[in-house]
Amino acid sequence: MRAIECGLACCSVCHHIVKMPSSNKGVAICPRCNEEVHYRKKNSLQHTWALVIASIVFYIPANMLPMMHVHTFAGTQSDTIISGVIYFLHSGSYLIASVIFIASIIVPITKLMILIYLLISVQMKKTTNKIKRKKLYELTELIGKWSMVDVYVVAIMIALVHFGGLSEIKAGQGANYFLLVVILTMIAAMRFDVRLIWDIKEDNAT
Amino acid sequence: MSEHIVCCHECDELVAIHHPYREGRFKCPQCGSLLFRHKAGMIEKMYALSISALILFGVTNYFPFLSFEVAGNISHANFFTSVLYLSKEGEYLLSLAILMTTIVIPLLRIVLFVVLFAPLYHRHIPSYATNVLKILEYSTPWGMLDVFLIGVLVSLVKLVKMGSIIAGTSVWAFGVLVFVLAYMQVVYNPHQIWDLIDKNRGDI
Repeated sequence: MRAIECGLACCSVCHHIVKMPSSNKGVAICPRCNEEVHYRKKNSLQHTWALVIASIVFYIPANMLPMMHVHTFAGTQSDTIISGVIYFLHSGSYLIASVIFIASIIVPITKLMILIYLLISVQMKKTTNKIKRKKLYELTELIGKWSMVDVYVVAIMIALVHFGGLSEIKAGQGANYFLLVVILTMIAAMRFDVRLIWDIKEDNAT
Repeated sequence: MSEHIVCCHECDELVAIHHPYREGRFKCPQCGSLLFRHKAGMIEKMYALSISALILFGVTNYFPFLSFEVAGNISHANFFTSVLYLSKEGEYLLSLAILMTTIVIPLLRIVLFVVLFAPLYHRHIPSYATNVLKILEYSTPWGMLDVFLIGVLVSLVKLVKMGSIIAGTSVWAFGVLVFVLAYMQVVYNPHQIWDLIDKNRGDI
């Protein structure tokens, strides 16, 4: 038996099961933690779409603009995410190249593609592969924050290497955009209500 | 209470749990997601772990973290000086993100764990428990020290080619801290504390 069929909703903060008033628009106050309780996250699909689209827009400058500039006496070198990965491949650090490649390229793209797939599948009222889609959602939540690795690397390098003309590292605009992509995709994953996947069965049954 | 009804937050299924205080993981029969995890002695373990996390966090931020040397020039950095340096350079967004995800939120979470579990350990439910549990719930995804550890390792490898790098005492404390925090996340079972709050209310 599902909670929504019994007029019950689960508090998103303390997971208390709350009896929903039948008259109201499906809003109640949780008696245990005083937070507002809804059957489902409000405007979940719209918010997730908006955040996903914003992330895609920011992802373009994040990849086109340099993440950091390395100034040495030999000249200035600017690295984007991709050129950083290629540099590590050439210098033989395959482990680091793959860490950066997975964290900065595979993870954000996978996350966005999964979210788009979930949004479309919910809007098309797909009833198949519910468990698989739920697992995909869990994956986006799990991998979400690991894209921050590259941002941290840039920050650590800037904080450590500042020797004036000898060698100096400065942040590029790409780092800011990439940071925004990570934060926006994390919020997008949080805004998506995975219970919507399971709600579709009822519509077909009735 | 021997029987207990939990609502799966992934598929909205109502699940009856017959022995919620049996050690182990409880999964939703409908979709298979983890409902909660119960470990015996959760409160004692969390109290001990949160205090050790607080000490390790102090050590991490007090002692030098990384030092970097090129041709006789040396520079030091720890969490706080990195944030200061970045904001001095005009990288406000970066420095704010580092400040929040590696200092403010992790420290806030550790302190809240201590002030929540210290009274619970002495069999007293503090009046602020509800609010503390709420903040802990909201801040879970935003503490990113584990990601930062990988960031440190990557930058170590990157910098090794440019000069000599010295890992300070902090790095070791920080490595241990990340594992302590990860273990806390496994042991932490807010369901049990909400139950305690419920029972306490029943008495009044």
